[in-house]
Amino acid sequence: MAKKSVLGLYTEEDSAADALDNLRDAGFEEGEYELLTGTPYPEGTFGEAEPEHHLFRWPLIGAACGFTGGLIITAGTQMAYPLITGGKPILSIPPMAIIMYEGTMLGAIIFTIIGILFESRLPRLFMGAYSEKITEGHIGVTVTTEEGRTEVAEEALKKAGVEGEIIRGWE
Amino acid sequence: MAINSAGVEYEAVPEPYAETENSVDNRKDVSDRLLRIHNVISNRFWQFAALTGLMFVLGIIGFVLRLASGFDDKDVWGYYVAVFAFLMTTTSAAPMVAIAPRIVNAHWRRPISRAAELWTLAGCLNLILYIPLIWLLPSLENGRRSLWFYGHQASKNEFWTGFESVPAYSPHIWATLAIISLVVLGLALVWISCLPDFAVLRDQGSGWRKKWGERLSLGWIGTSGQWNWQYHRMGVISAFYFMMLIFVHFFISVEFLMVHVPGWIDSLYPITHAHNALQAGVATVMLTIFCLRQFGGYKDYIGLDQFWGLGKLLLALSLLWFWFWFSSFNLFWYAKKPSELSLLELLISGPYMWMFIAEFLLVFIIPWFSMIWNPVRRSVWGPPLIAVSVLIGTLLDRIRLYVASWDAASRDFASMLEMEMSEVPDKILAPGITDIFLIVGFIGGSIFIFMMASRLIPVMNIWEQKEFLLYKAEVQYHRAKVLVLGKPR
Repeated sequence: MAKKSVLGLYTEEDSAADALDNLRDAGFEEGEYELLTGTPYPEGTFGEAEPEHHLFRWPLIGAACGFTGGLIITAGTQMAYPLITGGKPILSIPPMAIIMYEGTMLGAIIFTIIGILFESRLPRLFMGAYSEKITEGHIGVTVTTEEGRTEVAEEALKKAGVEGEIIRGWE
Repeated sequence: MAINSAGVEYEAVPEPYAETENSVDNRKDVSDRLLRIHNVISNRFWQFAALTGLMFVLGIIGFVLRLASGFDDKDVWGYYVAVFAFLMTTTSAAPMVAIAPRIVNAHWRRPISRAAELWTLAGCLNLILYIPLIWLLPSLENGRRSLWFYGHQASKNEFWTGFESVPAYSPHIWATLAIISLVVLGLALVWISCLPDFAVLRDQGSGWRKKWGERLSLGWIGTSGQWNWQYHRMGVISAFYFMMLIFVHFFISVEFLMVHVPGWIDSLYPITHAHNALQAGVATVMLTIFCLRQFGGYKDYIGLDQFWGLGKLLLALSLLWFWFWFSSFNLFWYAKKPSELSLLELLISGPYMWMFIAEFLLVFIIPWFSMIWNPVRRSVWGPPLIAVSVLIGTLLDRIRLYVASWDAASRDFASMLEMEMSEVPDKILAPGITDIFLIVGFIGGSIFIFMMASRLIPVMNIWEQKEFLLYKAEVQYHRAKVLVLGKPR
């Protein structure tokens, strides 16, 4: 079934928090509704669950790959061309550390940039129900659900004191 | 106890909270006022843009002339490398002023963080300037000391590396990768930081700005997940930018400076170079925000807090300048090997002595003696004046070091192998017309890029200003009113 989204706008934080409570009471699942704001509120301001992110996964994997590459390049070349420099061992850590550091950094950076593009879910081609008032300062609560349940969602949003009309859109 | 939407119990705080100025009207007011300033373009702006644009054209002419002179005479490239190093020291380091205070949640950075970040766009110009240097930098076959493993020994074939021999162009490969990484990180940082403001332009802007806002915001709607993603990603990118900035300065100072002067062995100098960048980066942002306040219409936003905060940083970094310089100088002074005496003669007591004295005054003595006085440090006009002093001193420093080094590098091939300068240049290489075009042109070009970028990207961070409303409250404290500032996380 096609999904439809509805949006309620609020001027007060408490009203938006009430709207989330109403939606939960009406049986909507986490993930079916979202808060839209023009300002980064502290997590939990509206009683919402903390968003999950896989922040460290991408840089860590990239750093591990880069470090391994750097280690192979430095150790490999020095084993293939064993020149003793300044009486130091062939595999000396200080000169190897420079390439291993850069390898680690490059791997971490490349994976982070890829991760950013992947995790951002941007560009968002279908914005669903949206209002320009969000960037003006209003707080929006949007519900994306099956078409048959939008009336229940609208009721829950209105009960919290929505400002103006409910905005409807397709996802 | 209360329950959040995930069904998790949490302790609800029953105490009354401080009343902030956060309301829908105030949030709208912040957007409206900043967009109004952003949309106004004064005649003075276009006059200055035309001037810097003209300077940029001169820079391009100088660039072409320098390329036409070929890469055989290394000494004529001294000023070119000095300009490149100066821009890497100033424009590429300026974003650190946004990064460091943001990491420690310092509220005073909010009105100036975007201006600092915008300088990363000038990094693209630095990348263009860098490209000819790949051809200028000799291969490791000239026998100079290097960070890189290099020898003429044939492979023992016990371990296949994919190369017929160890590449003599290792510095070229790794330095290029590092500089490209720094530029990419800078662009990513600006884009992520600007996303919410592009959405403001899309929704509240008009004309060509609205169109570009639509394109660049990529459907940003401000969900909790998007804000969470943006916060954490900015943190990671910022940390990487800082690490890569230090690393790039490590490369520049070693590969394009120290290794070309026989006998210059100083493990402290790369970090001195990076420190110089932090100092000049703060000075660059100081001057930028002064111009934005005086001529850009941001007088209500950029105030004493910002100049005071940056002024303290500049004073600390100026004191550190002496510490770094003296540590290296002491070593050479007491070691007194012939190669080190030659180096001191080249860089300090010889032909560049007056340039060194001027630089010493401008970068250390003047900032130190003026910024220790409260009336100067806690003023709007004092720190920017000191910033000018630091920037001029830094330019002299880069000219002194890079021009002298490339002059020495062009003289005697055998001395590279002997690790000692057989001949110290007895006079400063005077800049030619091409060099003057390059210096004026590329400094002007960087400012031009900044100004043009500021036409599209709001130079004041709108979302951070709105966020500030959440954390600022004026409360009664006994018989006084005090400003209470909260921390976001």
